[in-house]
Amino acid sequence: MPEAFLIAQNLHKSFNEHKAVNGVSFTINKGEIFGLLGPNGAGKTTTIRMLSTVLEPDRGDVTIGGYSIRHNAEAVRRLIGVCPQELALYADLPALDNLVFFGRMAGLSGKEAHAQAMAHLELMGLVERAKGKVSKFSGGMKRRVNLAIALMGHPQLLFLDEPTVGIDPQSRNNIYETIESLRDKGMTILYTTHYMEEADRLCDRVAIMDGGQLIVLDTPLELKRRIGPPEQVTLEDVFLRLTGRSLRD
Amino acid sequence: MNRSLIVALREVRTYLQDKADLAFSLLLPIAIFALMYGAFGGQSRFHGTTHVVNEDQGGTYSTLFLERLGELENLDVELLSLPEADSKLERSDLLMVLYIPKNFSDKLASGELAELVFKQRGNGGQEGQIVASLVRGVAEGINQELQVYSQVSNTLAGRNIPQESIEITVQKFMDREREYPIVGVREETVGSSPDPVNQFLPGIVTMFVLFAITLTARAIVEERKKGTLERLLTTRLSVGQLFVGKFLANVSRGFVQTLILLVLAYMVFQLFTPLSFVESLVIALIFAAAASALGLVIASLVRTEDQATWVAVFFTMVMVMLSGTFFQISEGSVMYTISKASINTYANDAFKTIIAQGGSLADLGLELRVLAGVVVVGLVLSRILFRVMPGGR
Repeated sequence: MPEAFLIAQNLHKSFNEHKAVNGVSFTINKGEIFGLLGPNGAGKTTTIRMLSTVLEPDRGDVTIGGYSIRHNAEAVRRLIGVCPQELALYADLPALDNLVFFGRMAGLSGKEAHAQAMAHLELMGLVERAKGKVSKFSGGMKRRVNLAIALMGHPQLLFLDEPTVGIDPQSRNNIYETIESLRDKGMTILYTTHYMEEADRLCDRVAIMDGGQLIVLDTPLELKRRIGPPEQVTLEDVFLRLTGRSLRD
Repeated sequence: MNRSLIVALREVRTYLQDKADLAFSLLLPIAIFALMYGAFGGQSRFHGTTHVVNEDQGGTYSTLFLERLGELENLDVELLSLPEADSKLERSDLLMVLYIPKNFSDKLASGELAELVFKQRGNGGQEGQIVASLVRGVAEGINQELQVYSQVSNTLAGRNIPQESIEITVQKFMDREREYPIVGVREETVGSSPDPVNQFLPGIVTMFVLFAITLTARAIVEERKKGTLERLLTTRLSVGQLFVGKFLANVSRGFVQTLILLVLAYMVFQLFTPLSFVESLVIALIFAAAASALGLVIASLVRTEDQATWVAVFFTMVMVMLSGTFFQISEGSVMYTISKASINTYANDAFKTIIAQGGSLADLGLELRVLAGVVVVGLVLSRILFRVMPGGR
């Protein structure tokens, strides 16, 4: 029986009259990669913001590692790492300094932060550029630094919001391998992406959101099986079948 | 180490690594000081120029008169030709010119009345009037010397003393009298001197510190723009710690800039005693803290860098105008009451008490309490008003 690490119950969030998230519930098991997919405006980012304690839900609650985001957000923040979709780092500082700084914010001592930073830069293939300013890095290198920052403090739950946007295949592959090795070490990961083959490759289970609601949740294989023989159907076919082909932007 | 301090150190480090920002922010106080020196430096006492047309070229007394004018420390002598002087007066390039007429020396030597002439436009201007009184003083001195010489000559007439000997003796006496006058004039300064530097330095310092509000106001917006604000708030860093970190970084920056300004003022204008310098630094620190706290209030409300800049500039200008930084506000007037709403007023008063009135921190109970209160209220208010995003914490 898998152990639930994140339990989201009946989450609601509105901005003025717009219901961004409308009654979303799901569970993420310990050590799994959980894909949260959906077209633009589906409510994924708002959901992640609530899960990561940035936004407070209007209704509902989330427990992460047994702690409620409503009642014990500080304890939740000790368990999570967030890699936002946009690069969120200090481009005018060296990569190492960025990692050490966020490590300190995650509660590490200076020595621990430095050691972890070097280890994560090694993992990302960036140890040679540890002292280089991030502003001088390529797009792929910046993405890898962005991900490495999220790993500081060894979080138990990692939120990865489209971590491979706009990078070359080599960097993307490095990120895939990193994510898989993290899962192998027991880390729980919530992954959002618009690349369906990425979700198919990495995610143990996938939830698809649209219009602020969770419309389906299952393994990629089972989702494909719903519309045809899995070897002939892609996850993108499932996604388009469920969310429609009309433009959302 | 406290997370606030780590945030502050990162901020300071970024500031130190940006060479252009660093150079500009350190050169700014130096540039302001240079402007201040250019405007006020060396002019704590009057210094003017007398424009002279000497039509008595080579005359003994006109030469002596010009030498005596040249000996005055606070007066420069500029010789002009007659057409040049007339033309400048005509065009109002000059408001007053002194004319030494032809035969000026001959007339004096023969005991006749000789006149110096001031030609002036209107009342000759304020500087012209002061210059004229200095010139009159010199003329009166020569007049008295000539009278003494005449009296001595008359008294000794018929005693078979050579005229040359009388002249030399009288001249020696007069020179000694000028060097060691019987009736001396001594200046005693009561309190500190009311020179322009004393008057304006507090205003310049407070205005300068207040400009730092803009930098503080942008601090949170910049984090928001980089995307690091949201990320930071998913770590163990609390909003309060983030604000305190920003606050400490901006106080340090504002304080260092003010320190440069005050050190230069100390070295060049010798405005301070060591104690008053330290007291001024304390005021600068508290005022920088108050300005930074107000900057954070703005930072907690605005959403873009443009909003932050304009709100901060508007706030700064209003504070400067209300406080009477560069003009006197009469006690008891409506403006005087309104000026109490500006933190500049309290900082100005505090600096003036130390710099211009020779007071101490013990005399600044109200001012320091108000500024410290602004720090506390600003920090609390900014935390209450701040939302990472609508609906956020």
